[in-house]
Amino acid sequence: MIRGIYILNQGSLVYTKEYAEGVETESLIEFIVSLTQFLGTVDIGDKTEYMNLGSWRIFYAVRNRFTFVFLADKADDVSQIEERIGQLVDIFMRDYANLAAANQPLTGFDEKVDEIAVTMVKVAILGYAGVGKTTTLHLLRGETLPLIHDPTIGVSIKKLPEEVENANIVLWDLAGQSRFSILWAKMIANAQVVIIVTDSTLENVLRSKKLVSLVKEEVPDAKIIGIANKQDLPTALTPERVGQILGIPTYELVAIDISYRDRLIQIIRKAILEGKAEAKAPTTSPAS
Amino acid sequence: MPSAVFILHLDDMQGFIVVKRYPTTFSLNEKILNLAYYNHIQGEKSDLKIHEIEGMRIATYGDATHPGWLVCMVLAEDEDYGPYTDEFAGMGHLMLELAVENPDLVDVRGILVNRSVIPTPTVEQKCASIFLTPSSVLLLERLRERGAERSAALAIWLREQIQAEDVDIIAAVRPLMESGVVHVEMVQRTAEVVFLLADVFAYRAPPVEAIKYAEEHMPDVAEEYHTLVKEFFSPDPPARGYNPTLPTEDPNAPIVEDCERMASLISKSLTYTVLQHLRKRPMTLEQVSEESALPKSVVRNALWALEAERVVSTIRDDVWVLITNPVIETFLPEYVLDIVKKRVAEKEIGAETARRYLELLVEKWSEPQ
Repeated sequence: MIRGIYILNQGSLVYTKEYAEGVETESLIEFIVSLTQFLGTVDIGDKTEYMNLGSWRIFYAVRNRFTFVFLADKADDVSQIEERIGQLVDIFMRDYANLAAANQPLTGFDEKVDEIAVTMVKVAILGYAGVGKTTTLHLLRGETLPLIHDPTIGVSIKKLPEEVENANIVLWDLAGQSRFSILWAKMIANAQVVIIVTDSTLENVLRSKKLVSLVKEEVPDAKIIGIANKQDLPTALTPERVGQILGIPTYELVAIDISYRDRLIQIIRKAILEGKAEAKAPTTSPAS
Repeated sequence: MPSAVFILHLDDMQGFIVVKRYPTTFSLNEKILNLAYYNHIQGEKSDLKIHEIEGMRIATYGDATHPGWLVCMVLAEDEDYGPYTDEFAGMGHLMLELAVENPDLVDVRGILVNRSVIPTPTVEQKCASIFLTPSSVLLLERLRERGAERSAALAIWLREQIQAEDVDIIAAVRPLMESGVVHVEMVQRTAEVVFLLADVFAYRAPPVEAIKYAEEHMPDVAEEYHTLVKEFFSPDPPARGYNPTLPTEDPNAPIVEDCERMASLISKSLTYTVLQHLRKRPMTLEQVSEESALPKSVVRNALWALEAERVVSTIRDDVWVLITNPVIETFLPEYVLDIVKKRVAEKEIGAETARRYLELLVEKWSEPQ
C-alpha cells in the first residue's frame, strides 16, 4: 500500500499525506529533502524510479520544479504503484501545480489523493467466540462454508475478491476466544472499519459493549458497524435492539445465507465512504 | 544449532509478513505464525521464550524496542536449549536488529554457524534509556533531592510537573529500575517506596585505551589521532572547541542535550557494537565488519551516525578513530545520607524506611564492582 505521499517544490514541502502509523516522519522527511536535492543534480526525465529502504520502497518522480516522493511497501506490485503515481502526478501538474507554486491552498487535492492512493482498506471483524465471524468472512469472500467449526487461532487475514471504492479490502478475522483477547488491541490498529459481530442473544450483546469501548479507545477514527447475526434463530434480538444496546449502527445478518453478501458489502462500502467524509482536515500545507 | 529460522513482522495492514526464512524450503503456515506471535506476547514478559508449536520447539526473540517483530528459531530435535539461552537471545537480538534495518542484511546461516551475537545489554545501555525517557530524568532529579519517596507521592509530583492527568508512573520508573538506579519495595506493608540506590552520569571521556593502542601499535596514525582528540577536548585559544562536558553555569549549555544524543547512540545495539570495537583501537570499516560479524553497510551507517555526533572521525580516509568516548557511569549517591538524616529528624521519613534504605545501599555497593 502507499503509506505516504510527499510533494516538494524546489526542496520545500508543499503537500504531505500519510496513511499509516509507524513511519518515523521526522527522519523520513529529512531523507526526502536530501533526496530532492540530489535529484536536482541528475536528470531522470519523466520516469518514475524507486529505491529500496528496509521494508519500504521509495518511488520518486520529477516534473519541472516539483519532486514527488511516494512511500510504499516493498511487497507491493511495482507496476500498480507506478500507475497510481502517474495518475497523481498528472492531476497535480494539470490542476494544482500553479496553486502550489503560488503558495495557495490545494483545495480538493486531498480527496483526489485518497481516491487514487488508498490501495488498501483494513476491515477488522471482532466478536466473541462462536458468533459467526469466520462465517461472515466466508460470506464476504463468497466461499462455501466449512462443515466443521474450526475456531480461529490468532487472526485470519484474507482479501475481498473484488475492489471496493477502488481499493483492496483486507479482512482481519480476529479469534474470539478469550485467551486471544490480548491480541485484539494490537490487531485492530490502523483499521478503517471495525465490524463487531454478535449472535443477537442478550447475553452476548451485553458482553460485546466492551468491544465497542475497546475499538473507540484504540482506533477512534475507525467506523464501527454492529452486526446482529443469527437472525434466523427464534431467540434473536432485533437489529434495532442490538444497535440500541451497543450504541452503534447495527445491521441484521444471517451469515450462512449467501443472499446477505451484497448487502454486507454495501454496508462496508458505505462505512468506507462515511469514514472518508469524516476524515480530518487535509494536511495540505502551502510552503511558507 | 537451530534447524530453521524465520523472522516475522506483523504489519498493521498486511498481517504477518515472513521477512526472512532459513532454509528457504522450510514450510510455514498461518497457524504457526499466529501461535508463535501469540505465545510470545502472552504471559510473563521476556525477550526470549520457548514454545511447543505444532510438534516443534521454537525459541522466539522479540523486544520492546521493535514491537511487531519476532525472530523464531526452530530447535533441532536433540538441541540442548537450557545452557545456551544467552546465546539464543544474542543471536535473536542480532537477527532482529539487522532485519529491522533491512531483512536482506540477515545472513542467517552465517550467524548460526559463527554463533554471532549481540551481547546482553550492559549497565550503560540500560542507563541510556533513562536519558531517553524525559519523565525518568525528572524522577531521577526528584530522588536526588529526596533519596527515598513513596511511589504515590512521586506520581502526584510527576503529574504536577508535566501537567497531565494520565501519568504512567510505572513507565517512568521502569528504566530506573531496570538499570539498578532505583529499587522499589513495600515497607512495613504500608507504603510502596522508591529508593535511589545509584546516581548516573553521562559524559564524553577521552578515548584513552584506543589512543594508547595507537601509540604502541599504530605509529603511523598515532600523531594525527592525538591531534584530533586534543582539538576536541582542548583546542588552542581562543577557540573552546565543542566540549559539552565542560562545567558551565549557562542553563542553555549543550550538556543535557548532548547526554540525550550520547544515550541515543549507546542505546542502539548496532551502533553500540561498533562503538565498543573502536573503544579498543582504531580500525578500518572492514576490520570492524569482520570482528563484529556485522555487514559493511550496517557498520558504515553506524560510523556515520557516530561521526555526525562527533564521536568518531577518520584518519587517512580509511582508519576510523574514536575522538571522544561517550560514557554513562553509575556511582554511590553519598549525598543522600545527609538528606535522609534530615528527613528522619523532621519526621518526613519513618525510621524503618531509613533503616531499610541503608541496608539496600550497603547491599548494592558491597557487591564486587
